[in-house]
Amino acid sequence: MKAVHRFFVRLRNFAAHRRVDRRLQEEIEQHLALQTEENLRAGMTPAEAWRQAILKFGSVQSVREECHSEESLPLVEGVVQDLRYALRILRKSPSFTVVAIVTLAMGIGANATVFSVVDAILLRPLPYSQPQRLVEAESSSGRGTFASNLSYPDFFDWRAQNHSFSHLVSYHDTSYTLTGSARPVHVAAQIVSWDLLPMLGINPILGRGFTAAEEKRGTRVALLSHALWVAQFAADPGILGRTLQLSGDTFTVIGVMPASFRFPITAPKTDLWTTLAVDDTPAGDGVTNRGSHFLNAMGRLKPGVTVAQADQDMKAIATRLARQYPDTNTKHDSARVESELDAVLGDTRTLLVVILCAVGLVLLIACGNIANLLLARVSDRRREIAMRSAVGATRSRIVRQLLLESLVLSCGGGLAGCALAFFSTPVVLRLIGDSVPRAADAGVNLQVLAFGLAVTLVAGILFGLIPAIQASKTDLVSTLKTGSLTDISGRDRLRSAVIVGQVALGIVLSAGAGLLISTFVRLAHEDLGFRADHLLTFRFETPDNRYSKTRAPFYQEYFERLRAIPGVESAAGTMILPMASDDADVSFQNPEHPLPEGQLPSADISLISPGYFRAMQVPILRGRDFSEADTRDSLPVMIINHAFAEKYFPGEDPVGRQLKPGAGDGRPGGPPLRTIIAITGDIRHSMTQRQDRPAYFLPAAQLPTWCCLVSVVRTSVDPHALEPAARRLVASMDKDIPVTDMATMPELMSVQLSQPRFAMVLLGAFAGLALLLTVVGLYGVMMYSVARRRREIGLRLALGARHTLVVRMVLIEASRLLAAGIALGLTASLLFSSVMKTMLYGTAEHDPMVLAAVCAAVACTGLLAAWLPALRAASIEPMQALRTD
Amino acid sequence: MKQKSDVQQGTLALMVLKTLEVLGPLHGYGLARRIEQISGDLLSVNQGTLYPVLLRLEQEGAVASDWGASENNRRARFYRLTRAGRRQLQAELDGWQQTSEIIARFLTAKAERLS
Repeated sequence: MKAVHRFFVRLRNFAAHRRVDRRLQEEIEQHLALQTEENLRAGMTPAEAWRQAILKFGSVQSVREECHSEESLPLVEGVVQDLRYALRILRKSPSFTVVAIVTLAMGIGANATVFSVVDAILLRPLPYSQPQRLVEAESSSGRGTFASNLSYPDFFDWRAQNHSFSHLVSYHDTSYTLTGSARPVHVAAQIVSWDLLPMLGINPILGRGFTAAEEKRGTRVALLSHALWVAQFAADPGILGRTLQLSGDTFTVIGVMPASFRFPITAPKTDLWTTLAVDDTPAGDGVTNRGSHFLNAMGRLKPGVTVAQADQDMKAIATRLARQYPDTNTKHDSARVESELDAVLGDTRTLLVVILCAVGLVLLIACGNIANLLLARVSDRRREIAMRSAVGATRSRIVRQLLLESLVLSCGGGLAGCALAFFSTPVVLRLIGDSVPRAADAGVNLQVLAFGLAVTLVAGILFGLIPAIQASKTDLVSTLKTGSLTDISGRDRLRSAVIVGQVALGIVLSAGAGLLISTFVRLAHEDLGFRADHLLTFRFETPDNRYSKTRAPFYQEYFERLRAIPGVESAAGTMILPMASDDADVSFQNPEHPLPEGQLPSADISLISPGYFRAMQVPILRGRDFSEADTRDSLPVMIINHAFAEKYFPGEDPVGRQLKPGAGDGRPGGPPLRTIIAITGDIRHSMTQRQDRPAYFLPAAQLPTWCCLVSVVRTSVDPHALEPAARRLVASMDKDIPVTDMATMPELMSVQLSQPRFAMVLLGAFAGLALLLTVVGLYGVMMYSVARRRREIGLRLALGARHTLVVRMVLIEASRLLAAGIALGLTASLLFSSVMKTMLYGTAEHDPMVLAAVCAAVACTGLLAAWLPALRAASIEPMQALRTD
Repeated sequence: MKQKSDVQQGTLALMVLKTLEVLGPLHGYGLARRIEQISGDLLSVNQGTLYPVLLRLEQEGAVASDWGASENNRRARFYRLTRAGRRQLQAELDGWQQTSEIIARFLTAKAERLS
């Protein structure tokens, strides 16, 4: 208590610059005067009386000093003093200060930027109540690692039989056309179990959540997103109980969600949520077909249950179901439960950690540069430091002083770096686009600034400590006596070690970046199997309630009219558009080698209209394309791709053979046997796919119950120019159908490449920065070494050494450093590059070409950086060098 | 000549407080003289050491000081005990009393009484 009181009094004194000194002085004078008077009274001579008074009092100076250290905060005062001194010193060498601060600003700015993204994606909890208790459950196969969605019957069994979850909720996306207002609107929706909101722990801002009864067949209720409520219903508080027309079905609005609500977190936007009752149609088998896997499941763990326990629980249930339903569940005999955040992040975590490490390495290299600059300065400041210790500065005081100097530098760099982050974060976010979930929430906030501060302090201590300790070891006597440069070699070894480390880190970073660049170039130039330019794509729906009977003729007429638009070369439709993250996988039966239902092979499926391969410019290797003559009443046919033929008909001619894909056409008797009529070239399904996938195509006209076709238009003009005409055409055929996702094929591909591109650009930028810093550092070290060896080189030249010899001498010194760094860096790269496996496509993680190129680049730029100092060395004037010290 | 004993700071603070309690407000020189007198000139204290102690006590709030006029009509700074100082003095006196009693017992202990 007393100590606290004293501290505050001291703090106040310190802050107010209050000094008791004058008062003390007056008191002491008083004291001495009184004592002198008394001594006089005792009969001393005036001089003796004064002398005795002073003797009795003791040292006035030490009393004053003691009082001074009592009254204020001496440590803080000392630090403030050192700080002023540091600022003065730094101001005296502005070029050093500017170089150091700019270097640090780049390092810290890059770190703060990356951290702002990492913070938003990795560190921030999911925006639900107790998010760490939320998990994602998937169906999987016990043999492989392959994971898949759930079917409704499986989900219902999981929900009923588990002992791990207080709630287990199914969800999958769908889309509707909202009509009734001026213009039809496309809305993204999620079909969920009734207890979505209780599971997430979130309440609507208006109305109520779903009830268990609302999962019953025929129920049509909807929760609106805040955005949809505002945009379509002018935030009308009377919306509750109103009905909506969604793709011709009537829904009742029961609530409005908060503006911040997002579910699922990975979807760019969701406009409304409804219950799984909409999947329970009298005609379809959506909720009863155990083989139809399209559900995601998210659960909240019961109190006390761990993720591992839940995982075991679900695995047991899945195994039981596989035994119970061997026909459908043999390939889904296991399950996997992982924390929701892990499920959301997926491979992104590796990507971000790699980038975070990369940017940390950049900062380390920057710190190395500054440490080297400081080491050089310490050599120059030996006399000053020796002088300070001569007048009584302790070693710790000198270390403190020099550390403060580095901290001032790092704070300058940190401030500039955080300012930089404000500008660079939006640039990085644009680069990331939608490719990483939650990235859009990133921004420079308090956490990021706190991180910047922490990095700043760590950096300041990192690059300041070694030079400071080195400096404090200065041998006082010899330095002051001789004033010459002795005992330098140890420090030079340190500087060399720093440079070698920097080169090694530079190699590691450049190797990583090189691998990503090679991956990206490969991805971007990979043979697609179709021509991507002059291809416009867009979507619209043909809702079941109006088109279930007329879909085929509607599409036929639509594509005919589309082809008639001037500028359109050809046009067709496909259910699965490449490069658009569309996916469908359906099993098939080969009647020649029948298998039990649970063990059927499956492959990518797509429904297409005639002319699709022509529009995409995919070669038909054998056989014929679908034609308008392939209708519901003609022979059921199919087309397979080259990979399919290779895999399932090796060494045979598949054309004319028959398969039975599990794709029902709505007629009794189940899916028909289909005759293969052609083999086409392989189409690259996604930019990041690792190998060609077997796929087969069915004529859409033979399966009119399947919705819907994406339009693919091959144009002879700029594809965007046809947008209005295409929209007009769809509106003229049905005014209630909105056209969505209008994009050219190169645009779709660019979106798919955004994650590899973002990884490549960031890592490439960091590698470039690292290389630049390393080269600058090497240049500085060589320059300094030449300056220090001026006398020696002068002597050599005076004794007749040729200039080329001197140049060679310097270059050899630089190459030794470079070689050591490169060797170290290569070893590290080989050890660590396997981390990047998931980020690479078509490039081995130890690609020798990439590594060789990187080493060559580092060696060349390094030697280039040493060239100038070498020339400087050769141009030393021997006489001058020998005369001056 | 009798050996003069050194004084620890804490002890000096206690003496200052006690002196102020007994004699009322005093200036620094007066305090130094009284402490010398009371201790019978057995203490060897540089009078100057009193001032850091006074400053510390003032910061702790045990004493307060004001300018006043000394006997010879000069300006002098007078120190007086505050209420907190009185409490502190009492606490420290109790502590001393206890310590000295315990020490006294040990010093007077006889072998037969402990066996």
